[in-house]
Amino acid sequence: MNKQISKTSRRFWVIINYLSMFLILGFFYNGKSCGWSHTFTFAIIITAGIFILSFIYVYGITHLWKLVHTSSKKLDERQVQVVHRALQISYSIFVIMVLLIIYSYALVEKGPIDVVLAACLLYLAHTLPAAFIAWTEKEV
Amino acid sequence: MKSRKIYNRILVLRKERNITRQKLAEEIGVNFQTIGYLEREEYNPSLDLAIKLSEYFGLPVEFIFSTEPQKPMSQELYQNRQ
Repeated sequence: MNKQISKTSRRFWVIINYLSMFLILGFFYNGKSCGWSHTFTFAIIITAGIFILSFIYVYGITHLWKLVHTSSKKLDERQVQVVHRALQISYSIFVIMVLLIIYSYALVEKGPIDVVLAACLLYLAHTLPAAFIAWTEKEV
Repeated sequence: MKSRKIYNRILVLRKERNITRQKLAEEIGVNFQTIGYLEREEYNPSLDLAIKLSEYFGLPVEFIFSTEPQKPMSQELYQNRQ
């Protein structure tokens, strides 16, 4: 049986998780443009720690990661409905985000996206459905 | 399409038989949280699940599920006696 975490707590940790991801991205680009210093490295390490801990707490302990990545044959009818809805909404959000990034890159005539941004997009694609469930469901 | 709310007596029937959500969930092959959602009438079951529940409790589907709020079982029993 998975551990029950309140909806408020789940929402809080989803925000912390994505906030830490965007902070890592921010520190990385700042470090890249202003030159790497111990402060940036230290900030990235601390933020990465928070990012990993919040991931374990909100997606690992609640088994949300497992729920979203399990074959629908192993889920019951309600879980299938919940996961399908989450995937549908997440797909729309993700497509809009990717299109905005592509258009903004095209507007400023920047080259192809780098590996860190690609990793963040990959992470978003995998966690958005679970985050949606964590945000909306009464019990997970 | 917005579906109608389905009322049910699952909570009363489960308590009456003194079984846990976990046990009922295992018997009908769903997650224990789905039983909670059903009991709180926050989820409308499929016909298959409704039939599984009626078979498990040995009662007709229309006795367990209804589209209108159900009277307490004690009240129905009293009315049937009169």
